[in-house]
Amino acid sequence: MTRPARRAAVAALSVTTAFALTACAGTSGSSGSTATKVDVSTTIPNDPVTLTLAYTNDPPTKALIDGFTRKHPNVTVKPQMTPFNDYIKSIKLAMSGDAAPDIAQYNPGAMNSLVPAGLILDLSPWSTAYGWTSKFPPASLEVLSSDKSAKQFGTGSLYAVPGGLSVLGVFYNKKIVKAAPKTLADFEAAMQKAKDAGQTPLSNGALQVGGFHLWNALLNVIGDVNDYRSWVYGKPGGTIENPAALKATQTLTDWAKKGYIAGGASATADADALASFAKGDSAFLITGNWAASTLETEMKDDVGFFLMPTPSGEPAKVASGASVAYAISSKSKNPNVAAAFLDYLSSPEAAKIEFDGGFMPVDTKAELGATGLRGDIASAFAPVAQGNGIVPFPDYASPGMIDKLTPGIQGLISGKMAPDAFLKSLQESWDGHHGS
Amino acid sequence: MARDLSPAVSAPRAAPARGGGRVADGPARPPRRRGRRARGWLYVLPALAVYLGFAIWPAMNTLRLSLLKWDGILPAEWAGLANYVKIFRDAQLYEAILHSLALIVFFSVIPICVGLLMTALLMGKVRRGMTFFRIVFFLPQVLPLVAVGITWRWLYGESGVVNQFLDLVGLGSITRAWLGDYGLALVALGLIGTWVMSGLCMMLFLAGAQKIDPSLYEAARLDGAGAFRQFRHVTVPGVRREITVAGVITTIAALAGFDLVFVTTNGGPAGQTNVPGLLVYRLAFNEGDIGGASALAVVLTVIVVAVVTAVRYFTRDDAS
Repeated sequence: MTRPARRAAVAALSVTTAFALTACAGTSGSSGSTATKVDVSTTIPNDPVTLTLAYTNDPPTKALIDGFTRKHPNVTVKPQMTPFNDYIKSIKLAMSGDAAPDIAQYNPGAMNSLVPAGLILDLSPWSTAYGWTSKFPPASLEVLSSDKSAKQFGTGSLYAVPGGLSVLGVFYNKKIVKAAPKTLADFEAAMQKAKDAGQTPLSNGALQVGGFHLWNALLNVIGDVNDYRSWVYGKPGGTIENPAALKATQTLTDWAKKGYIAGGASATADADALASFAKGDSAFLITGNWAASTLETEMKDDVGFFLMPTPSGEPAKVASGASVAYAISSKSKNPNVAAAFLDYLSSPEAAKIEFDGGFMPVDTKAELGATGLRGDIASAFAPVAQGNGIVPFPDYASPGMIDKLTPGIQGLISGKMAPDAFLKSLQESWDGHHGS
Repeated sequence: MARDLSPAVSAPRAAPARGGGRVADGPARPPRRRGRRARGWLYVLPALAVYLGFAIWPAMNTLRLSLLKWDGILPAEWAGLANYVKIFRDAQLYEAILHSLALIVFFSVIPICVGLLMTALLMGKVRRGMTFFRIVFFLPQVLPLVAVGITWRWLYGESGVVNQFLDLVGLGSITRAWLGDYGLALVALGLIGTWVMSGLCMMLFLAGAQKIDPSLYEAARLDGAGAFRQFRHVTVPGVRREITVAGVITTIAALAGFDLVFVTTNGGPAGQTNVPGLLVYRLAFNEGDIGGASALAVVLTVIVVAVVTAVRYFTRDDAS
């Protein structure tokens, strides 16, 4: 009968115990940089070696492990899977513990405090030895590189390499829209047409990340990529309060006013937006290629993919994307073997595994032989990746950014927040983290 | 006549009937008191250890952490009251507190009224099917709040059941995605709380009302008191303690609530349903500001204790 009280007590208790547990780790552990000298080598021993690998994304992780251990039978990799919601929260503690995993899936936004704590290795020596800068798309390594304080990306040392890339774009329902629009104006016209026909032009999950992904896609084609890079990488003087970003924001506001964005987007979760698009309720959905396998299953041949079209109609050169990246613990006893795993991620055979797992391969030149929806995605992605046009999502700019982006976009959609006030709120969070 | 009897009616609580009365002091305590007392402590010890280890110590630790600047990994630094200064300068906190105070209306006031109403309707009139009513109204308490939240998010959706119903009765003009509506999201969220809490209040009041001596109703009836006066002067005073308990439980749920808000609106649209619990979570797990999150948690605790004290004060039993 006292369920609410007990629940409150349990919640309070678990929060406080979480704090308590982390307290021990924080004050007693973390001896800073355990700078043991490592002899960097690209050959791995023939003796039996066991590594542990902590991750949350599967596919592609398990298949990649299998591929690697087939190549090196003396190496055993023990997988440690944690569901996404708990992964970020638990991995920081796991990495500072004595039994830290040798390799850990790495998120440069949420996990970057591992860098100043000296808990993950600077990979620069292996990068030189293996020649990683030419094996991995340079843009995908930029966001995994940072200075010692981990506040600024795209500079300093390399801390992780990707084992699968993702890209943000537009899915369209071929039953409603005949062909992929070529310009931004065409795209707007297609949405207007869908609306006039009584359909929902755009499904959007602005309750979660869908809202700012839409904004991000517009910013990619309307905004200036260099301005965006320096802002999201945290370069001194970076700012989002610029005319091009304002124009992109204004475009989103206009779309909401014209009724292109599904009403109630602010109360729609990403999964629900995906479901309603898959059911054929809407013409377009802006999200990442991670949605491809679901949509292929649900919609068969009726779904296609394109990158957000540019105003001029020339092919888009910039698209946001993230990666499933892996870092090496500074407590690992076999860093050379772990580095060999990271190098394997850039191989053509790994490319096939990554693509089959629903990600874009790191080896952007790999022959994939994909058709249909996957073919659309692969052909849109390859030129952007090869042209170094993959940029990080905006929530990497500062730790609290996501809590400005999601409510801010909801404010824009409901007409309660002006575009310049939105950009100002983002910049305030940036200034708070990086210093103005 | 009615006047003569009214004192009896307004003091319905015959001590033995309530069962909570104190047993009179026993005879002088035996001499081996100290040994007994030590043994008593021994029995209490396991529970005490759990309580100290999992409630008191973490609470103290939260207080300590609120005075530190700590990201969860790097060594913590002493911050003094800086975390408190920071959160009190943030306008978001005041908005969140206002929202949770507004939620008290939906989580406490309305459910208690509904609970009393249901008690009045069910007491003494429904002979068969009482268990059925109880189960139906108590059902929301049995469901996990996360499931409740997600289900209601769909019910409130643009083509959800709520809007389908409004369309059906000719109110199609006011349909909208309720939880995404800038002005009405908080009310829509609050009504979920009303749905969850009303059954709990009713159960508490029914249990309390069943302990009221039936002769009080009979006496009131003989004096010509109608259904409303019986309810006002017999039932309500009879369940006063249950009202206090319900008030405290539901107020805590309103102020310290997190799960329901997190899954339905996550504070949206545009921060219109932010509550303090949500801000604590974001500070700790999104921004990695453990110190700030702990400071906010301490402030939230103080607010909860203050409001609960007020609730207890206003519903106190004047007689005791």
